[in-house]
Amino acid sequence: MLAGMAGSLVLAAMPLAPALAQEGLGTAEEPVEVRIIANEAFANSWQTLLVPEFNKKFPNVKVTFDGVPYTELLAKMMLDATSPQPEYDILLVDDPWVPQLAEIGALADLKGEKVAALTDSDYDWDDFNAAPLAAGDWKGTQYAVPVRSNVLLRFYNRSLYKAAGLPEPTPEQTWGEFFADAEKLVRDTNGDGKADVWAVDTYFVREPLTPTIWQSILNANGGSLLDGSGAPAFANEIGAKSLETHKRLLDYAPPGALGHGFSDSLQAFRQGLVANLFNWGSVYKSTAVDPKSTTLTVDEVGIQVLPVGDAHAGTHRGIWIAGISSKTEKLEASWAFLQWLTSKQGESVNASLAGSFPARKSTLTGTPAEPWLGPVYQALQHAYETAASGEMWRIRSPKSDAAQQVLADEIARGLAGQATAEEALATAAEKIAKVLD
Amino acid sequence: MMTETDKTAARRAPVKNPKRPAPRRGRTTDLMVRWSFMFPAVLLLVTLLAYPIFYTIDISFSRFDIATFGAAEFVGWDNYREVIGDYRFWESLKVTMIYLAFALPLQVVLGFGIAYLINVEWAGRGVIRALFIIPMVVAPVVAGGMWRMILDPLWGIMNYWLGLIGVGPMDWFGDPGLAMASIIIIDTWRWTPFIVLIATAALLALPKDVFEAARIDGANWWSTLWSVAVPLLVPVIAATFVIRWLGAVKMFDIVLAATYGGPGKATNVINLFIYEEAFRSLRFAESAAMAVIVLVLTMVLTGLFLRASRKLEELF
Repeated sequence: MLAGMAGSLVLAAMPLAPALAQEGLGTAEEPVEVRIIANEAFANSWQTLLVPEFNKKFPNVKVTFDGVPYTELLAKMMLDATSPQPEYDILLVDDPWVPQLAEIGALADLKGEKVAALTDSDYDWDDFNAAPLAAGDWKGTQYAVPVRSNVLLRFYNRSLYKAAGLPEPTPEQTWGEFFADAEKLVRDTNGDGKADVWAVDTYFVREPLTPTIWQSILNANGGSLLDGSGAPAFANEIGAKSLETHKRLLDYAPPGALGHGFSDSLQAFRQGLVANLFNWGSVYKSTAVDPKSTTLTVDEVGIQVLPVGDAHAGTHRGIWIAGISSKTEKLEASWAFLQWLTSKQGESVNASLAGSFPARKSTLTGTPAEPWLGPVYQALQHAYETAASGEMWRIRSPKSDAAQQVLADEIARGLAGQATAEEALATAAEKIAKVLD
Repeated sequence: MMTETDKTAARRAPVKNPKRPAPRRGRTTDLMVRWSFMFPAVLLLVTLLAYPIFYTIDISFSRFDIATFGAAEFVGWDNYREVIGDYRFWESLKVTMIYLAFALPLQVVLGFGIAYLINVEWAGRGVIRALFIIPMVVAPVVAGGMWRMILDPLWGIMNYWLGLIGVGPMDWFGDPGLAMASIIIIDTWRWTPFIVLIATAALLALPKDVFEAARIDGANWWSTLWSVAVPLLVPVIAATFVIRWLGAVKMFDIVLAATYGGPGKATNVINLFIYEEAFRSLRFAESAAMAVIVLVLTMVLTGLFLRASRKLEELF
């Protein structure tokens, strides 16, 4: 009779076997598939470079990246996350999106009981720098971990500084000193009477990342976007002065710079046309190392934080973080991938193969995979600390994108001279207060 | 006894068949058959056309719940009040009107002008017509990006060419007026060939005897154009204008690729603003309200244009 009961139990459990395997780490016969929605800018290269490395350790977890254009990524993610059976197990999200996704219950708590039970004992949360880790936090819950960290940094062309007879800038250089140098960095090198190299290029175009330049100056001057109660706090003298500083950069930028954003400014710097570039640090490799994409060399390109304002140096956090869908049926496999990717080992692999910037202190202070990474990591560590102390990141709110779009509109008006700095910021503050209400 | 006429009448009279259904029932069956043929098309129309419009109207009167990605509670005219009170909406409408006021007449005049000039028989005319199609099939984003490179003040070929004749350098994307001119140039490059094709077909369909009569009467090139061709083409010109208007009013992709709506807000057309509010700011309810307002405005203006075009047809 017992044998019969056991037989029945075995038979009853048989249909469950594949399901249980699906929930685990898979088998050679039945691998588990984990699907990731990510920015198309790096989804393909991660699929090619990182997944094979992960599969050396977890051969039965099949990881598939689906790349989506940045402008459509958040809307698609939200749409998928709100469906009863989401397609994606891991969401790779931009810095300001965690509050929005957390508010709709799309993300699992990575320090919660379920995930904690699957976390390796040597997974060191405290090793992460505070600024990048905080990008994955919302209201005290850790929903995501940094997988591709970034900060706004200052790139400078040593050859152009030397040719202008100027000493190399240091991380202690103030905005006043920067503009004094800028006068000398705009030069006519071929003697035709027209300037052909300029002092600076960065974001000026009407788009959501342009206000990050103004904000890094604002933060460096001791200002902030919101006050303690969450109300806009930038429509004041510090805000206006910072916007004037951003606008003043145009006086030393190449013609057409008002229409420049990420790509145009990068291109100008890579071609040796501008002496300074304020852009995301992660472009260093393609700007100074890879001869296929740049005319410059590692020896020519310096990297450091943005000039010092009234309070401290400037930077701005822009972290890609990854979280797990709260509705995934493949929690163990999903966390296995994410845990590997953000472990000390995975982060080093990601840094050396895909060029992603690490968030862990141990990776930043350890021996870098390539010699050129040494000064880059040093600047990155400095920037993380600066960002953490000045809270240099975009508005943390489920409505952060709407607020950022308002800032994009008004900063663009201010830069184009269609409104004074005071008018533009007053309008932005009024609109953002309404949006966040 | 039946006369021959009676017999003929009897033959023509319908034969009464007791099994034949009553006429009312016959009509019902006929209607059902007709509707059964129409049903797939009606279903497709309702699903693909009417449903999205009603959905947009629905969310424009609601609070949008991002968690369910649908309309939550009814909020009346709140979203419309919000939109009407937003200066950015009016600025975008103004920018759109400026773009339409310059781009549409320019494209129609250029399109018909080019068509008139190439309407004579010459070898290779077919090849040129085929080449004209190229700008139309280039994706708007590609067109915008390509022209961005051509007009770029640092690297673009346009300023180099202008420099050879002593013009410039021009800051195509940094000056608000020139940025709008750039958008109009790109849009005209894309859509003038479409008008050329329509106009060429219309010119070929014009009655040749009228032109011959004009030639015999001694009309010169200009008189033939102004007094013969243009009046005959007025209905086609009006229809082309309306078709192009309906296309142009939706334009935003070229702006997105070329100027991002800048500098400042100089090229921020209404559809770009709606797109940004919806998909960047995730303000779907407000965007829906804007879309409905634009839809109504477009319908009213299209109605006016159609009325005007009918008047023009009567006039000529």
